Amino acid sequence: MIHLLHNVSSFISSGGHGEEESVSDIVMHHLTDHPIVATDGSGFFTRFIHELNTTIFSQKFFGVFDMRITRWVVMMWIAALLCLVIFLPIARKIKKAKMGSSSKWVNLWEVLVSFVHDEIVEPNFDHHYVKKAMPWFSTVFFFILFCNLMGLIPGMSTATGNLAVTGGLAIFTLLGMIAVGMVKQGPLWIFTGVVPSGIPIVIFPLMWVIEVLGLLIKPFALTVRLFANMTAGHIVIIIFIYLVMMFKSYFVGIGSVAGALLINLLELLVAFIQAYIFAALSAMFIGSSMHAH
Amino acid sequence: MDVLKEGLLKVDPGLLLWTIITFAVLFLILWKAAWKPIVDALDARAEKVRSDIENAEMMRIEAEKQLAQHKEMMDKASAEVASIIAEGKADAERVRSGIIEKAGAEAKELSEKVKKEIELAKDKALSEITAEVVNLSTEIAAKIIAKNLNPDDQKKLVEEAISKIGTVQ
Repeated sequence: MIHLLHNVSSFISSGGHGEEESVSDIVMHHLTDHPIVATDGSGFFTRFIHELNTTIFSQKFFGVFDMRITRWVVMMWIAALLCLVIFLPIARKIKKAKMGSSSKWVNLWEVLVSFVHDEIVEPNFDHHYVKKAMPWFSTVFFFILFCNLMGLIPGMSTATGNLAVTGGLAIFTLLGMIAVGMVKQGPLWIFTGVVPSGIPIVIFPLMWVIEVLGLLIKPFALTVRLFANMTAGHIVIIIFIYLVMMFKSYFVGIGSVAGALLINLLELLVAFIQAYIFAALSAMFIGSSMHAH
Repeated sequence: MDVLKEGLLKVDPGLLLWTIITFAVLFLILWKAAWKPIVDALDARAEKVRSDIENAEMMRIEAEKQLAQHKEMMDKASAEVASIIAEGKADAERVRSGIIEKAGAEAKELSEKVKKEIELAKDKALSEITAEVVNLSTEIAAKIIAKNLNPDDQKKLVEEAISKIGTVQ
């Protein structure tokens, strides 16, 4: 892990050296994905991933899927690993302490799980289904939260600042809406259930088209919202830091670092809010397809 | 725009697939190993807290009922005590007046008896005096007879004796 982080940070710093690089190049370099490439000083993990990339994943799967492991994939894996490392022991401790643990660490995560339970799942699902829906939305919330927060650590990146990643997550929401609708309201839900009942038969086709479009637009909006929010903050931070390289002045340095710090603090808040919004809207969309309108 | 399309806004199908795979695996592991026990434990605790609060509420109502009962009992008891005291007072009053009345009656009886006794004693004394007078008269008569008194003297003596008796009486 240390090797990996070291590699990642050297990877980032290499982007800022050339003075002839434009601001757009630098920003793009930090915000876009690249397959992991090992260099001479790389650690074991980087070399291992490089090896995988050049052997198993060198060919595109089905001619479409370029499965080479990239920075963003590694970041997602770190976020997923964080989830596992944090929540597996927490689950054991909570299970053991029936009356509530006295550990601050356990209580911190318990509060967040309760937050997901009370603010995201409970308002959108019937009492009976809250328990069934909890695992899904907890995973969505914490995975996105960790992805978002990781981007604020220097040397790491925000996986959720990429349309493919947010799109992948939103596809789950779309599938969830369709699957829940079909299971709860019958397989013909997609033809009849999406349209509000009691409308004249004449405008039924029009309404159906609009509703189905809405069905697709909802996850698309989720995708763009998370991506844009995570990307915007990072662009501002990088540009603040870039000002130092541009002006080569201590005074600008003080100002721009203070500005970057300020935006970083704001991003902490945004990271949490966007994770909440993504999970809450997913819950609202999936919850609303439980019942006919 | 080309930069954006190739960089920032590019949707790489490989990365999309990796996202889906990563997320699905993470979800399955966390579902079975973390969320289920956590949610179960939290629900159980919430249920316990709810039932504890319910119990406490029930106990509060019970306690209030008992308090009211006790208050009622206390009120009853104090009323009883008051009535007992009043009864005792009335009894004592009755007994007192009874004793006084009895004492008065006794005293009256006693004085009556004493009066009677005095009367009796007086009667007795009178009869004794009368007997004495008779004896005395007889003696006097005998003396007179012995001295040969004249009738005037005799009469005088008798009258004297009788008047004497009259003053004694």
